[in-house]
Amino acid sequence: MIRDVPSEWIERAAQASGLEAELSRRGFLKLSVCALSGLALLGLGDAFGANAPLVILDNAKGVILADPTRCVGCQRCELACTEFNDGRAQPSLSRIKIARAVNFGPGGPTGGDAMHGDWGDGLIVQGVCRQCPHPVPCATACPQNAIKDDPQTGARVVDPAACVGCRLCQRACPWDMLSFDEQAGVATKCFLCHGRPKCVEACPAAALRYVPWRDLTRDGGMLRSGLSAPSPENAKACLDCHVPAGKTAVK
Amino acid sequence: MSAGDAPDLGKAIVEAVREASAEARLVGADEVVERLRARGFGECLDTEPEVDPCRRVEALLSGLPEIASLASLSGRAVYHDPALLSRTYARILDRKGVTALLMAEEIRANSRDYPRPVPVELFEAPPFDLAPEAIEAAFKAMAASEEFRDIAFTTTSQGTVYLFSSLHLERDYATFLAEQDETFSMNP
Amino acid sequence: MAASRGGFAGKVLRVDLSTGKIGVQDTIERYEAVLGGAGLGYRVLWDEVPAGTGPFDAANKLVFAAGALVGTSVPCNGRTTITTIFPTCWPRPLVGSGHMGGHFAAKLKYAGYDALIVEGKADRPVWLMIRDAKVEIRDAGHLWGSGIRRTTLELSQEMGPDCVVAAIGQAGESQAPMGMVINSVSHSAGGVGGVMGAKNLKAVAVQGSGAVRIAGDKAEWEKLVKFHLSILGANNQHVVPSFPTPQAEYYNPASRWVGQPGRRWGAAKPPVELTGDIHDLSRIVYRTNSAAFFLGEEAWKYTVRGNGCTACPIRCHTMLRVPSVTVKYGIPDMAQNTCIALQFGRMFFKGLMAGKGGEAAIEACMVGMHLADDMGVWSNYGQLQRDLRKLYEGGYLKARLGSKEYASIPWDKYDRNDPAFLLDLVPRIANRQGELGDVLSRGTGAIFDTWSIPESDWADDHSTTYWKMGHPKHHANEDDGQCGVIINTQYNRDAQCHSHTNFVRNGLPLAVQKKLATDIWGSPDALDAPGDYTPANPYKARRAKWSLMRKELHDALGVCNWMGPWVASPRWERGYAGDDSLESKFLSLATGRPMDREELDRAGERIFTLHRALTIRDMGQVDMRAGHDTVPPWVFEDAKGAAPFTKGTIRMDRADIGRAMDFFYEAMGWDTATGAPGKARYAALGLADVGEGLAAAGLVPQDGK
Repeated sequence: MIRDVPSEWIERAAQASGLEAELSRRGFLKLSVCALSGLALLGLGDAFGANAPLVILDNAKGVILADPTRCVGCQRCELACTEFNDGRAQPSLSRIKIARAVNFGPGGPTGGDAMHGDWGDGLIVQGVCRQCPHPVPCATACPQNAIKDDPQTGARVVDPAACVGCRLCQRACPWDMLSFDEQAGVATKCFLCHGRPKCVEACPAAALRYVPWRDLTRDGGMLRSGLSAPSPENAKACLDCHVPAGKTAVK
Repeated sequence: MSAGDAPDLGKAIVEAVREASAEARLVGADEVVERLRARGFGECLDTEPEVDPCRRVEALLSGLPEIASLASLSGRAVYHDPALLSRTYARILDRKGVTALLMAEEIRANSRDYPRPVPVELFEAPPFDLAPEAIEAAFKAMAASEEFRDIAFTTTSQGTVYLFSSLHLERDYATFLAEQDETFSMNP
Repeated sequence: MAASRGGFAGKVLRVDLSTGKIGVQDTIERYEAVLGGAGLGYRVLWDEVPAGTGPFDAANKLVFAAGALVGTSVPCNGRTTITTIFPTCWPRPLVGSGHMGGHFAAKLKYAGYDALIVEGKADRPVWLMIRDAKVEIRDAGHLWGSGIRRTTLELSQEMGPDCVVAAIGQAGESQAPMGMVINSVSHSAGGVGGVMGAKNLKAVAVQGSGAVRIAGDKAEWEKLVKFHLSILGANNQHVVPSFPTPQAEYYNPASRWVGQPGRRWGAAKPPVELTGDIHDLSRIVYRTNSAAFFLGEEAWKYTVRGNGCTACPIRCHTMLRVPSVTVKYGIPDMAQNTCIALQFGRMFFKGLMAGKGGEAAIEACMVGMHLADDMGVWSNYGQLQRDLRKLYEGGYLKARLGSKEYASIPWDKYDRNDPAFLLDLVPRIANRQGELGDVLSRGTGAIFDTWSIPESDWADDHSTTYWKMGHPKHHANEDDGQCGVIINTQYNRDAQCHSHTNFVRNGLPLAVQKKLATDIWGSPDALDAPGDYTPANPYKARRAKWSLMRKELHDALGVCNWMGPWVASPRWERGYAGDDSLESKFLSLATGRPMDREELDRAGERIFTLHRALTIRDMGQVDMRAGHDTVPPWVFEDAKGAAPFTKGTIRMDRADIGRAMDFFYEAMGWDTATGAPGKARYAALGLADVGEGLAAAGLVPQDGK
């Protein structure tokens, strides 16, 4: 789709960099010269006018990589995530997820040889946010466009001021990586601690690493099929790239 | 060399020694000079051709509180940063290759400081990595030498050999400590 | 308002199984002075369980208590202390606690409770479901008779995969005093399983989604947590590795810090090589391998990984996979545990005791863990195993058991050190089957009672390591001279204190230990080299007191006394000092209420004194010195006849131990004639009501001190 980007779009994108502040204010894509998908979007944004939502986020810069064979299930990462960021120890709030896999692994208490975790073969499969590429399921599902990319790391982050606590993002994530802060009434997710993830630093087994982003969404199975439907307003924008069969691409 | 160069050179010397210590290596002044040249300090070292750069580096090293020197077995001074390479480990490195002395000094230090005898298996594992034959040969050498007459062994009721120095541990006490050490697994 | 404190969950859950009544109370209002854990348990027993209550009476209570630091990232928290009238205490049950790690304590806190108090007795088997505010007593008919593994699986299916189940096995169901409760595979509390069984309580399953709030500045908190990590060693706070490393000035072949480059978790898929700097904080878990420490080098290849409690980076429960045991014994190839429980199977066999044991010992350990941690049989710190050995080797069993029962036991396997023997023996104990099974299920005291064997047969024999009251020594004179002896006189079960032994065995040279001792206890004479003991002095008594107070504090805060205190460290730039104020710094930041070391130590003393008061009350006698704080005869003997205070003996001198006890009672502010606190001492510790209660019963020293 983005292989044959017309040169005039690139020119337009370059001009558009002057609009960066305006775009950011709306939580839209921040321009980056290598973000071809973003360039395509700018074209769309222009075509739909200033109020059209942009649903494509540039890829994140980094991602947390977890090695299950090293994980010892101590949950120090979960506690670092919530204590050092939120001032409370609360694994259910953690944006890295260990507690749910400690006993039986992602498959649960099934019994049998395939069971992981302390009661199974010992393997602890950590839950980490993939910082998904477009379409970002949690961001796509958010009717408030409250999930944006962090300007520094590109992490998909929940803007607590915009989040209304509808929990649709939780349903959208195929890896069940969204947390809900019951105290604040808003969703929360891995924001890569602005580039120095606390969980990585806290791991006493070197089982977590912060590495340049790559697309982990294609690795292995999902926990569940996420329910990620764009809002009607966003859906209109989708159709400009995701062209119905038999129609031509956007001009 | 201007007066302002000395601190820079001093800093570079510290870095060179630290680099070696981090690799678990002891360095002499000559190797420090080599490492300095590799860091582009050659010109600075050669400003006074009548002075051997090694001597200059040695003089500077002696004034660096963070760097320790060790009189090596070869007689020359070698250097390390004790924060990265401990004195104990430095001595082990220095004595590698002189098996009898290496073992005897380690046995003496253990008997003197902790105090305790050590199981002979200690020397089979890293960083000693001695083959059983080498250990046996060292024992024979020790037995034949007046220098090592303090090195003794005791065998526990379970048959494990522990080594101690009679300069620092009485036989009965060494035997008691060996027996206790071996039964720690039954005293958790 | 009290409930706004951080650290504490704020509520205590009470469940009356007789009436089905479920209620909550405010933790701070009622129990802040005793912090939590054992302190809270002692307070409940003092207030609510009358003297003379039996362990299996409905009137006995079972207090599962976490502590204010549980559930946080304070390294080595995660402990649950379970306090009750302890069933293996002989000849009369008295207050005692079982302790378990795992994930139960943290989950209880996240569910919103600092403690769970179980009262009464259900009229049929039940389990307790705790999901945050929702608490229900549910039918456990379908679980009765099942082992702990199956119980956990089925309850997890009912509650969800990330609940934590603390369950009893067949031993607890049959009200065996030697029954355990277990959570998270291997984390057991001895002696309390039968009390659960008597209440018809098969399990407690907890799910918690809430938070433990850190009231203080979160950046300060993060800094303190990182500092604590930086002063950690390996298991038991052994602060030097067992081998020379470039980074360490000192090493100790007997250290539990056994992980080093070149070793690997051989049964991980694929294996994990230990690389890099083992001193680095990102590699703390690789320092400890309990199986390799206790069973030898062979254990590395069976190691899957380290496991352990919530938030603990030490991971002392080593997870093993030994495929051969499935074929040979028909048991699962995986098991995990630490220390005595790891060696449960091996320790029965005389022939498997030597050294680290190797392959044969590993197999016996696998069979032992499989049975003990599923059926829930406790070892009483290895006394069960030593008892069987003495009973068999001493000919007691042949003489006392009926010939038919004796012949039904596969002694040929026992003689051959065949672990298959355990497949017969352990179920006998768990099910209390036959006379042997029944007697062993009741603990050492039952051996004396049932078979009319004088206690002195055990107490005179050093090889039993029997101490008193049905229980063995736990780090006594062999580790720590008079200090160890004092500590072993104080409890109603084996003294589960590690404050002292963790220091003397930390692996530092004697001169460094003495320097640290001077800083902490005021004199280098506060400790001796092992087996090179000098006469008693007040500094040793001070260290004994400190050790006991810290143990009680740790049990009250939910911090591990198997790891703490942290007064020594691996850090040469600190002169190997740790931090004696660590606990108070953590508690102050967590709760938001500043408390210095002295004040917190006073809380520890208050808790310990409450234990003393309960013991005095339930024994109905004030003379603890003669009636309770006793030392077995073997302590005053030496196999080779060596005199006390000669190098190479752990033999103590009677008169000197008398002086040591004097110094200790003085340090405690107790009456030296009776070893009992006076009214004033109780009052000074905020326990005036306790002192008055005992005074009214004539249970304070005569001079009223």
